[in-house]
Amino acid sequence: MTELIIKNGFVYDPLNRIDGEKMDISIRDGKIVESVKEKANGINASGMVVMPGGVDIHTHIAGGEVNSGRLLRPEDHVKDVEVKTALTRSGVGYSIPSTFTTGYRYSKMGYTTLMNPSMAPLEARHTHEELADIPMVDKAAYPLLGDWWFSLEHIRDGLIEENAAHIAWMLQATRGYAIKIVNPGGLEAWGFGRNVHSLDDVVPHFNITPREIIRGLCKVNRLLNLPHTIHVHTNNLGKPGNYVTAIETMKCVEDLAQGDKPVIHITHIQFCAFKGSDWSTLSSGAGEISKYVNNHNHVTLDMGQVIFSNTTTMTADGPFQYGLYNITGNKWVNHDVETETSGGIVPFKYKRSSAVHATQWSIGLEIALLIEDPWKILMTTDHPNGGPFTSYPKILAWLMSRAAREITLSKINKRARKKSLLPSIDRELSLYELAIVTRAGQAKALGLKPKGHLGVGADADVAIYNIDPQRLDISKEYKVARKAFKKAAFTIKDGEVVVKDGEIVKPVTGKTYWIDVSTSMPHEINDDIKKKFREYWTVEYENYPLPDSFIHSSFPIPVKAEV
Amino acid sequence: MIILDPKRAFRFPIEAKNISPDIFAKKSSKEIAALQMWEGNRKGALGDLFNIKNDSGSPSEEFTIKIEGDASKLRNIGARMSMGHIVVDGDAGMHLGEDMSGGTITVAGNAGSWAGSKMKGGTIEIKGNAGDYIGAPYRGSTKGMNGGKIIIHGNAGYEVGCFMRNGLIQILGDVGLFAGIHMSNGTIFVQGNSEGRAGAQMINGKIVICGHTPVMPTFTIDSIKPKVKVDGEKIEGPFYRFIGDLADNGNGKLFVSKTKNPHLSPYEKYLE
Amino acid sequence: MAVITGVTCPVCGTFCDDIELIIENNVIVEARNACAMGAAKFLNYSAHRTKKPLIRKNGELVEVSMDEAVEKAAKILVDANYPLMYGWSNTSCEAIRTGLELGEEVGAVMDNTSTVCHGPSILSVQDVGIPSATLGQLRHRADLIIYWASNPWSAHPRHAERYTMFSDGRFEGSTWKSYLSRLRGVMSRKKIQRASNLVLKQDFCFTPQVEEGLPSSVHQKRRRTIVIDVRKTRTADAADCFFQVEPGTDYELLQALRVLVNDGELDVDEVAGIPIETLEQLADLLVNCKLGIIFFGLGLTMSKGKHRNIDAAINLTRDLNKRTKFLIMPMRGHYNVTGVNIVFTWQTGYPFAVDLSNGYPRYNPGETSAVDILSRDEADATMVIASDPVAHFPRAASKNIAKHPLIAIDPEVTPTTMLADVIIPPAFVGIEAEGTAYRMDHVPLPLKKVVEPPETCLSDQEILQRILQKVRELRRDMN
Repeated sequence: MTELIIKNGFVYDPLNRIDGEKMDISIRDGKIVESVKEKANGINASGMVVMPGGVDIHTHIAGGEVNSGRLLRPEDHVKDVEVKTALTRSGVGYSIPSTFTTGYRYSKMGYTTLMNPSMAPLEARHTHEELADIPMVDKAAYPLLGDWWFSLEHIRDGLIEENAAHIAWMLQATRGYAIKIVNPGGLEAWGFGRNVHSLDDVVPHFNITPREIIRGLCKVNRLLNLPHTIHVHTNNLGKPGNYVTAIETMKCVEDLAQGDKPVIHITHIQFCAFKGSDWSTLSSGAGEISKYVNNHNHVTLDMGQVIFSNTTTMTADGPFQYGLYNITGNKWVNHDVETETSGGIVPFKYKRSSAVHATQWSIGLEIALLIEDPWKILMTTDHPNGGPFTSYPKILAWLMSRAAREITLSKINKRARKKSLLPSIDRELSLYELAIVTRAGQAKALGLKPKGHLGVGADADVAIYNIDPQRLDISKEYKVARKAFKKAAFTIKDGEVVVKDGEIVKPVTGKTYWIDVSTSMPHEINDDIKKKFREYWTVEYENYPLPDSFIHSSFPIPVKAEV
Repeated sequence: MIILDPKRAFRFPIEAKNISPDIFAKKSSKEIAALQMWEGNRKGALGDLFNIKNDSGSPSEEFTIKIEGDASKLRNIGARMSMGHIVVDGDAGMHLGEDMSGGTITVAGNAGSWAGSKMKGGTIEIKGNAGDYIGAPYRGSTKGMNGGKIIIHGNAGYEVGCFMRNGLIQILGDVGLFAGIHMSNGTIFVQGNSEGRAGAQMINGKIVICGHTPVMPTFTIDSIKPKVKVDGEKIEGPFYRFIGDLADNGNGKLFVSKTKNPHLSPYEKYLE
Repeated sequence: MAVITGVTCPVCGTFCDDIELIIENNVIVEARNACAMGAAKFLNYSAHRTKKPLIRKNGELVEVSMDEAVEKAAKILVDANYPLMYGWSNTSCEAIRTGLELGEEVGAVMDNTSTVCHGPSILSVQDVGIPSATLGQLRHRADLIIYWASNPWSAHPRHAERYTMFSDGRFEGSTWKSYLSRLRGVMSRKKIQRASNLVLKQDFCFTPQVEEGLPSSVHQKRRRTIVIDVRKTRTADAADCFFQVEPGTDYELLQALRVLVNDGELDVDEVAGIPIETLEQLADLLVNCKLGIIFFGLGLTMSKGKHRNIDAAINLTRDLNKRTKFLIMPMRGHYNVTGVNIVFTWQTGYPFAVDLSNGYPRYNPGETSAVDILSRDEADATMVIASDPVAHFPRAASKNIAKHPLIAIDPEVTPTTMLADVIIPPAFVGIEAEGTAYRMDHVPLPLKKVVEPPETCLSDQEILQRILQKVRELRRDMN
């Protein structure tokens, strides 16, 4: 029995409505408990901020597309390396860090749970192999299911329950956590080099529209009682005028909401909040989007904030990535996956001097600040699409400090600055709100009960930052706070101190979460999938699902479905 | 002048990026001896590998490092240097003067591949032959040589001036395949023969070949010029002037000696 | 007797996973669905194997215990100033992961066989990227298949049947019927010719077929296959159309095609021995297909121009995507050579030729690649796993391997093991040990254990784990 007590810290635990209260946090055997014995090891956190460990709802850290991105960019790795130490493995960093480096760097910032949002089901084995080599954090992955032939056919034929049962099979087979939908219908069309351009475009050969796919899978999600909502990357991503599509996407499942519970998560909203008819007239759709979100409770968002940096874009949105390649002429990877999805990678440099990039930078922050309820908008960069996760402290500084925003504003493209809504926004997030957008809100949106808070029974994942809220005005001294968020004073994972003063002191492995849905018809589904297997895929049925022994520290979350 | 005299023959690769006037300047001999050097997988100090002589007889303005003997296992000599001189008595290893922005490096013998890689300024002069990828970028990058001058008295290998953006590479001998591949500006001047595919996938810039060379089918003849200007100097021709690489929508200029390349005479029909 | 289905075939990059094995008394007696290469491996793998660890003592290889062999191997690695650990493409990802940890611990250069096969392809991917797909995508959709300098008929025997010309997909079907009728045509023509020779004692003269340019079959509305190579291969016989390239001119041909598909013009009358008019027709075919795919082989990566051939081929594919959908894929050789690139990349950032000697990964093929290091005689110890560099490397490199301590982890007797100082024979992965491997299109599949290994043989991963442990012990003792 190992015990630990964090003493006298200023605790920010929004899920338990604790706002900077000076209190002790007791830990026993990896869980938060009421109290521990007096002789328990203590951490003196006086003058420091104590928060639940950071949670990232959307970060591309493992799997086929991430790794192809790594392979593509030796010039990106060579400038940022990690040397082997007595405790840690070596690796490379910058926009797509190697696996070990990814785990260490997140942990050093006080993060303890990561969601890998893009897993081609056929290549799930690859994602999980890599996740096993990402130390320090708990993790999970979302299988891409929006263009899966079974989904398209079932939903077209009105077979929602069948589809739900098939998706339950798929979550089990791929050890997945949530239903990921990327440019619904567009990826199937991309198989022949085409795309869909609105919610009501018909997907070639399948006679179904993106609207039907989203609504169908939203219903499926509810039937399966999944802890997270559908996780949607909208159609028309990265195109001027696409804020309309984003709003329509949210609208199209409005009627499926029950009470105040969200039914859809729109990811990296910045990339779908473009107003204007072309790149030269690009402006921010943040106003319209936040107005909609402020008036509706069935949706959560994450930012997809842009950082001025040389990064690597990677999504399952094949046609979008092709478009990016056409704009930049950069190197381009495309990877279409049979019967399921596609994927693309293009290196990309966000420049302050570019009107488009600077507007994108502004849009992300505008949305985060204009949406009144911080539980609805979570902080991400869609790593590495908007920029690498290591720049999170910069974003926190922009969110907590108008002064920090103004400094960056003064350096960006003039046209973008003129159009930016940021000068009109005074809002500065408090530490309590920052704790929501970086952990509590993320865990809540994920339905990940033991994470994101410090109440009794929660996992003892804790981040302690060297910020004294009584002495430090984070709005003015954002640089100090930024530094503190970059290097946690302590990171505690499952009750053990794993990071001290921003350095790894104990390498640990994390759990892999997945949703184990029980349905009433598993055998019928097995038979149906088996029957079509050779027709749809080029691998054998028996080699497709991952055996449990394959998953590193497998942690199934049992869920009972309504089918 | 600091003289580095190898204590023994080296057989493992040595990471020698610390041998640079910028790093040596203002350091005592003792401090220089303590500079980190990796030999294979063993971390050591410069003083373990070299006898260091400080020949400060004539306090000249320009800081000079002289390596006596064979330096062919030393990688990254003069990397990132911005001033001063390095003189290598024998052969020099790979990545000589990588990323340098000023100063000069002179090698009496041969130099390995990637000499002047990512170079931005200064001069490298190699009295012997040079390897492949002279003035090239790092793998995966398009940022090749962007200034300065590389002079090779002997022959050079493949992909000289790969992704070159500016500057001059002069080769007095012959050059291997793909000289100036992907180049977007700058000049490559070959006084000997080229093995072929010069200017492949070039976007812009100038390549001059005084000896024999095959020409890629994706170049189109433009004119015959009596002479061509290289680094302010007029080189006597006549030269066929080709434009390419058409496959990459390129507007690169490839000058090829008319007299040394009679096999190209059929192109003249397009000029009538 | 046991039947085991869905077995993956640990031979080539096609990595078929539908093999059915019949096992009797821990022996594979039949391998259904396997090609000749696969069957040979499953049925004969154990015929000439080493079963016990060996160490060279006074010039002779003598049997030793596993512990002694492991200790000797660990000692060699710890003592080395610049050890090379090479091979990896014929073992499991699990073994590779452990191998990388060991390589990092001893400050080794880690390189794999792609350094001598598709390494050049990777270099060009790092310059321009690669538009590709999984093989099923092509089975379902590709209506134009190009095998360029690759001959699957011999090297990847079931590639065409499973994924391309003879496979059935959702939108495109198998072309085996048209192939058969063409074959029948050729056969009957040959028969008539033979008969005419016998009976009429003279050559039978066909009316010459008046075909303008390419054969008409390439214009049909069905899946078509084109072979481009320096010689007419068996695959070319099965294809709708064959283009013969003058050796060493693929690069020129590819660049010329790029000009033509972009509607440009050339000053020359022929490229690579093919008239421009014919190339224009080929360019039309490429532009007008619905989904095209180029499969390229070592004929492109290892001939004159090397990675720049692939640079041009990928750029051709990029150009074609302005007009239609076009993809490209290397025909990887060993069953897990794709996997080794993948594992190297996720752990170190780089797919092969990774130098860990300075405590972090460095990568620069030409400088940090096995052949180059050996040719310059820089490595002072080599560990080879599941590979035979002595037989396949240039002579100077092979000679230098033998000069220094050599560890071989390989069940087979090869020129490399014959020169080794320490031989540790493992269980055969994919037959006697399980694991993970990646098909040439990056699809991961399980390697299965179908029979028990000899008692004296551990899996590659276990052997590497033991060496790693021993290395750490020796290091501790030294400090």
